[in-house]
Amino acid sequence: MSISAARDEPVVARTRRPPLKLAARLAPLVWVGPAMALIVVVVLWPVVIMIETAFQHISPDGFILGWAGWRNFVYLWEEPDLPGILIRTGIWVGTVVVGTMLISLALAQLFNQKFPGRRFARWALIAPWAASVVMTAIVFRWALDANNGIINVVLYDLGLLHRFNTDAADWLGTPGSAFAWMIVVAIYVSVPFSTYALLAGLQGIPSDVYEAARVDGAGAWRTYFKITLPLLRPAFIVALLINVMNVFNSFPIIWEMTRGGPGHQTSTTTTFMYQLKESYIGESAAMSVVNFGLVVVIVAIYLRATVWNREPV
Amino acid sequence: MRIARRPIALAGASAALALSLAVFGTAPARADTVLNLVAADYGTGPSDTSQIYWQKIADAFHAANPTITVKVQTVNWNDFDTKIQTMVQNRQYPDITEGDYFSNYAQEGLLYKVSDVMTDPSNLMPAFTKLGSYGGAQYGMPFTTSSRTLFYNKKLFAQAGLAGPPKTWDELYTDAGKIEALGKIGYGMPLGPEEAQAETLLWFLGNGGGYQNASGQWVINSPQNVETLEFMTKLVKAGYTEPNPGTKNRAAILEQFAQGQIGIINGITALIPIIKTAGVLTDSDWGTAAITGKTGPLDTTLGVCDFMAAFKTDGSKQAAIKKFVDFALQDKYQIAFSEEYNLLPGTTSGAAAFSKVDPQLAPFMAALPKAVQYPNDPVWAQVKVQIQQIIGTAIGPDPKPVLDTIQETALKGS
Repeated sequence: MSISAARDEPVVARTRRPPLKLAARLAPLVWVGPAMALIVVVVLWPVVIMIETAFQHISPDGFILGWAGWRNFVYLWEEPDLPGILIRTGIWVGTVVVGTMLISLALAQLFNQKFPGRRFARWALIAPWAASVVMTAIVFRWALDANNGIINVVLYDLGLLHRFNTDAADWLGTPGSAFAWMIVVAIYVSVPFSTYALLAGLQGIPSDVYEAARVDGAGAWRTYFKITLPLLRPAFIVALLINVMNVFNSFPIIWEMTRGGPGHQTSTTTTFMYQLKESYIGESAAMSVVNFGLVVVIVAIYLRATVWNREPV
Repeated sequence: MRIARRPIALAGASAALALSLAVFGTAPARADTVLNLVAADYGTGPSDTSQIYWQKIADAFHAANPTITVKVQTVNWNDFDTKIQTMVQNRQYPDITEGDYFSNYAQEGLLYKVSDVMTDPSNLMPAFTKLGSYGGAQYGMPFTTSSRTLFYNKKLFAQAGLAGPPKTWDELYTDAGKIEALGKIGYGMPLGPEEAQAETLLWFLGNGGGYQNASGQWVINSPQNVETLEFMTKLVKAGYTEPNPGTKNRAAILEQFAQGQIGIINGITALIPIIKTAGVLTDSDWGTAAITGKTGPLDTTLGVCDFMAAFKTDGSKQAAIKKFVDFALQDKYQIAFSEEYNLLPGTTSGAAAFSKVDPQLAPFMAALPKAVQYPNDPVWAQVKVQIQQIIGTAIGPDPKPVLDTIQETALKGS
């Protein structure tokens, strides 16, 4: 009896328990499922479509005319403006992010101090963040107008500008000065977020660490570089990564201020991709794939950097 | 309980089905046909937006045809082409468009032939039949037309001691220089993305060039065109134009002319209301003349036409579209549009009626039949986009490579 029972049991178990186990194993799917489905539909599926589009020959009006092989990538590579656009994208991301982080570090330090009107100052800092980026860019475009922009009017009144409608007054007309102004605007709209991220980090540093440093006789600079900065690292890296992504993908500032012009001389890969879309959808998708690849590389580098940085801490 | 649930659910489902069948079953017979009209906005602000013009027509049409509702959407002129293209790319076709017309939509079989959606196609202005045609059939219905002409600021000319408008490029250069010396802009050259293809073509025509030759071959990088851009560069480098023309749009230049800041521009009739609104120049302060050519004023000019076009969508709305097109192209509406924006009608009967109303515009209308037009090749859509984006960079030491790039685009096809 006992033997047969023992023999029977596994059979029963085999037929009944596995479904239970499977159900138990699948149970979390009920909770995770919607999120996974969302990721598949909203993130992965568009990526698949984007890559597929990059290999298709598509008419400007969206009719698929067949497969293009690598032709879209070849056309993209042959674009005479592409090297300049890639270099400019690097400069754009580099200067805007570095500028933003440096200013934000200083501002966060300031806002972490107690001073009269701090609450008001903190609120005021939100303004460029809260305002639509498109709006901010349009305001700057008109302020820089060669004929009657407010910035030029001020410069004229100060005697720094001798005449309207000249090259000197036409900030957005020449690639160099236009690009410099766009970097200024990009920093202006990026600073609030970074400052608040760093401020949160600063407030998370316990005060006894500073007391210990003071007791040990560390000066202000030494305290900042040896205590504040290292402890600020997690907040700093998060702010940095988010900024790099945002600036790389930044569209409205460039589009509203110059549309990438003259020619493509103030375009980045993001605006160039949009302009290609008007005439060559496949080539535009190829540009998207390249952009996507660049973003993936940036993320990979930063993930490695954060791991590498955290280990010694 | 479990067993009992099913019939209830089934009963519920069948009730819902019956209900929806009832709703959907009767719907087609009672529902209005809805026509989506997407039109370019020719206005300069909320007070004269084309939305008002079209809504009036849509309301009057609905009153006369209660089963058809026309939904009007107007789009900023700068964004119109992209908007329509995006709708087509996403397969969200409008039923009727009014604005730029591109033969590629006809090529792709998306449009109704004019004869399918209009009772009397022969009333459309014949000068633009070819421009609105593809493969021998007409798809675009001329709605509003205009011709370019030279506008000059008589006040500034008098101050600079100039007698009359320039006739040759050399005179234009000298005149622009004298106006520049007054602290104003000599010649306004809008080569920015908005409408660069028009300004460029007018200059090309002045040197016997163009985008295509008489037999329809692309000649964008021809020696004449290169020479033309060299002269334009000379004008820009001398400082006689606004700075960096490649980044300046037509709307801004027209506005500056109206403010009395510019001596000479190639303008359109639509500039007249802008001048009046600005209130800086009186009627006697400005004049018009033929476009300046290299060796003398042109006896022709650029004629521009905006079209209505009807998309097929699912093919069920043809009768409704036909009713609306006939309604919207009545003479009274053609005249109303022309008066509102100082443009010219697109129909023959509208033009005849309008010349009695506004004799000031009669010379412009007379110029239309022999006017030069844009190419009607389907690749023009891409060529135009590229001219708008990069022609400004041809202002420089060597315009040839830029023209070569555009020529390549034209030859590459879509």
